[in-house]
Amino acid sequence: MYRGREGQWAFVLHRISGVAIILFLTLHVTEISSSMFGPKWFNALLEFEANPIFGLGLVGVAALVLYHALNGLRIILMDFTSWGVKYQRQLWYGVWALYVVIGFPMLFAMLGHVFGGGE
Amino acid sequence: MRARRFEEAKRLASSNLELAWWIFMRVSGVLLVFLVLGHLFTRAVIFDFHHDLNYDHMVKVMNSVTWKFYNWLLLFLSILHGTNGLRYIIDDYIASGRARAWVKILVYTFVFLVTVFGTLALWGWNYQPME
Repeated sequence: MYRGREGQWAFVLHRISGVAIILFLTLHVTEISSSMFGPKWFNALLEFEANPIFGLGLVGVAALVLYHALNGLRIILMDFTSWGVKYQRQLWYGVWALYVVIGFPMLFAMLGHVFGGGE
Repeated sequence: MRARRFEEAKRLASSNLELAWWIFMRVSGVLLVFLVLGHLFTRAVIFDFHHDLNYDHMVKVMNSVTWKFYNWLLLFLSILHGTNGLRYIIDDYIASGRARAWVKILVYTFVFLVTVFGTLALWGWNYQPME
C-alpha cells in the first residue's frame, strides 16, 4: 500500500504537522492565558508579536492545521468505510484539492491582515 | 498501534484502553476539524488579528461564557489528541525503555502544566477592561 508513494508522504506529513501543531498549541495556550497578568504585560506581548515574522508564522501553522485536518478525515474514511483503503491515493488528491479551495481564501485573508493597513 | 482499519484496530489493540484511545483519536479528530477551523476563521481569517487584537478585546472574549465553553472544549480535546499522538510517536522512535519513560514523564508534566494554566485563565480569573 505504501512503498514510498503517496500514502507514505501522507503519513509522514501527518506526523510532522501533528508535532508542530502540539508545540504551537502549548505556546499559544501559554501566551493567551498570560492575559491574566493584566493589560500592561499583555499589550507589551502583542507589541512584540506585531512583527510580521509572527504573522507569517501563524499563516504557516494554519497551513499545517488545514493539512492535518483534511488528511485526518481521509484516515477516518480509510478506517471506517469498505472502500477507503482501496482509494487512499485518490483520497489524498482529494485532500489537496480541498486544501487549495479552502486554503487560498484563508491565505489571502491572513496575509491581508499581516501586511494590510488595518481598518 | 499501527492499524489501518477499525476491524484491524480491534484485533491488534493490546488492551481495551488502547482501543479506546484509537477510537478517541477519530472522534476527537472530527470534532476538532470543526472546532479548530471555527477558531481559525473567527480569530484569524475574518478577524484582523494583526491590527484589532488588544487587551480589551481579550477581556470581552475571556469573559464570555459561550467562548469559555468553546475554548475549554477546544483546549481539552486538542491537548488530549496531541499528547496521545506524541505518545504514538515516542513509542515508535525511542527504542530504549528508560529514555522513553523519561521523555513521556517530561512531556506529560509540561502538557499538564499548560492545561492547568489555560483552565485557570478560562475559569479562575476576572478580567477587568482598561479604563
